[in-house]
Amino acid sequence: MAQFLEQIINGLVLGGIYALIAVGYTMVYGIIQLINFAHGEIFMLGAYIALMLITVFGIPFWVALPLSMVLCAMLGMLIDLVAYRPLRNAPRLSALITAIGMSLALQNLARMIWSARDRQFPTQLLPTIFQGQNAISLPGGGTLPYRDVCIILLALVLMIALNRLIYLTKIGKAMRACAQNPVAANLMGIKTNQVIAITFAIGSALGAVAGIMVGLSESVTPTMGYYKGVAAFAAAVLGGIGNVTGAMLGGIIIGVAEVFGAGYISSGYRLAIAYIIMIVVIVIRPSGLLGKSTGTRA
Amino acid sequence: MRNCIIILLIVGLVSIWGCQPASKDKQEAQRELKVAVAAPFTGNAAAFGEMIKRGAELREKEINDAGGINGMKLTLIFEDDAGRDAEASLVAERIASNLQILAVVGHFNSSCSLAGKPIYKRAGIVELSPGSTNVTVCEGSDWTFRNLYRDDFQGQFIARYIDEVLTDLQSVAVFFDNDDYGRGLRNAFVEEAEKIGLNLVADEAYERDSTNFKAQLTSIKAKNPDAIFISGLYGQAGLIVKQGRETGITAQFFGADGIDSPDFLTIAGPAAEGTYLTTPFTFGAAGEDAQQMATNFEALHGMAPDTWAALTYDAVGMIAEALEKTYNQEASVRDNRKAIRDHLASLDTPEEGYVGVTGITYFDVNGDTVNKPAYVKIVEDGQFVAADQQLLDLN
Repeated sequence: MAQFLEQIINGLVLGGIYALIAVGYTMVYGIIQLINFAHGEIFMLGAYIALMLITVFGIPFWVALPLSMVLCAMLGMLIDLVAYRPLRNAPRLSALITAIGMSLALQNLARMIWSARDRQFPTQLLPTIFQGQNAISLPGGGTLPYRDVCIILLALVLMIALNRLIYLTKIGKAMRACAQNPVAANLMGIKTNQVIAITFAIGSALGAVAGIMVGLSESVTPTMGYYKGVAAFAAAVLGGIGNVTGAMLGGIIIGVAEVFGAGYISSGYRLAIAYIIMIVVIVIRPSGLLGKSTGTRA
Repeated sequence: MRNCIIILLIVGLVSIWGCQPASKDKQEAQRELKVAVAAPFTGNAAAFGEMIKRGAELREKEINDAGGINGMKLTLIFEDDAGRDAEASLVAERIASNLQILAVVGHFNSSCSLAGKPIYKRAGIVELSPGSTNVTVCEGSDWTFRNLYRDDFQGQFIARYIDEVLTDLQSVAVFFDNDDYGRGLRNAFVEEAEKIGLNLVADEAYERDSTNFKAQLTSIKAKNPDAIFISGLYGQAGLIVKQGRETGITAQFFGADGIDSPDFLTIAGPAAEGTYLTTPFTFGAAGEDAQQMATNFEALHGMAPDTWAALTYDAVGMIAEALEKTYNQEASVRDNRKAIRDHLASLDTPEEGYVGVTGITYFDVNGDTVNKPAYVKIVEDGQFVAADQQLLDLN
């Protein structure tokens, strides 16, 4: 039982991280029907930027975190500006190929700058709450690092904030309008390109948070964006691509399934089980758990 | 007519230009001897590759500073296999088809050496690995050699060390990398552990690209082992030790030569303290020539060498010695490559063996080195030091 509880927590930590990445995929897809493969690389760069800010510039963690979010948001907008905006009216495949190219380019750029070696956040420079060895004791002998509690809470808070932003603010309304029909939204006076840029910015900032969280509990490598990105993309599809709440739900499901697969069955199946769940859901509900089954779009 | 002259001119120019490199090649071939060093310079095992490169460069520099090999310059060509077998096959094809390269030092990962083996065998070029320990690496090919022990010996050694020296450790768990190296070493360990009666309570695998091991560690913890043997490489092992301590595991961690890299210490951080590991070589227990090599290494690279730098230093030295004794400018590349193999194969007794900084290297019929001992190191104050108790009688 104690082990079960611990595995659930392991799954929620991973799931929270997947959810943070998955909303970035799903928001962009919802508006411009583009699978932004470079999103995984934004996530990776978020971790590297925070790492550099802390180790090279000596900036405290609590400043480095928002700063990295802002820088990644700008980077996300820049990628949209140079790589996707010129192709807005081109066939969808062109933009998709550009996204794959962008992903490979950024991954190799990171390899050139920081080399392929694993890097760690220096424990002594982190706030005590994020140092893995400080933990709450669980009943039954388990431990739960405060850091993991923070990851789950942070993911939860950001998700709720995002949800409120989309449904209660003016920009949120504009985003929803663009998702429904960009041409009509434009005719109503919404600056579509600006809304898309803001969407990229929000998704990238959340990706940066996820990157830093993974960096804190695992390690920072140029390929981290690929491995985590694929799982997060599966989460977005599972939840219904284009649907933000679905992405959060999908992230949690994939994370917990992965941990249970590795912990109870075999590590060789860790992602296989998550993907089987995804495939089964997609077969039964082709638009994902919460996706709308509209024939013409998505 | 004018067209004819132009065509003739072009043909003439092309043929002159075509001849040029060929004659230049010949001159170069006489001035320098090329040897490839194939190792993971990028990817998951890049920290090993970096030290392999530095060790090889030191030996290359020393040989050339001392006048080269019979007056010819030794030139090393570094090829990156990224620690992946698919990449290693491509590298091996590239090396084998390059008729200027006379021998290969590498690969490092067992899976890479195994991938290269058939290609080197077909091309007839020596593959001398300074790092692959999987049992089958040298089997079935006359062209593959290694200058360190095999995993059947290492796995057995670790089980015996836990049983005989760390006697209060009764139950063990194995956590292994699911590739040629990790699996082979795990098999040897498990076989011996069962034979001598260690209680094996968990046996879990992980994949090389994983970075999150919490799920498996939580289920290992539930089995409550006294010791956990990690059969894998430093990158994952470092994270396993770190995440294991965070999960609340208090068991003794044990690793093998795959974690013998300074990067293990930086990745695991303070959690690395007290981890035991086996290694084919340690400067702490080595002779004066090894200390001299360490000093020269520091002078050249500004950092201390590790086990793999030393083994590569010796491997390059062995190839250089073979070239010195056998290289014949008049003979074909094929014959020269074969002469190197024949020379290495002739080192089959301790007396004939190559005396290097890591001890005397000689080969059995397979091309394996069977005489070299295993040492035990422990992490103390963030550094690898030789453990107080060695188990040299098994050696």
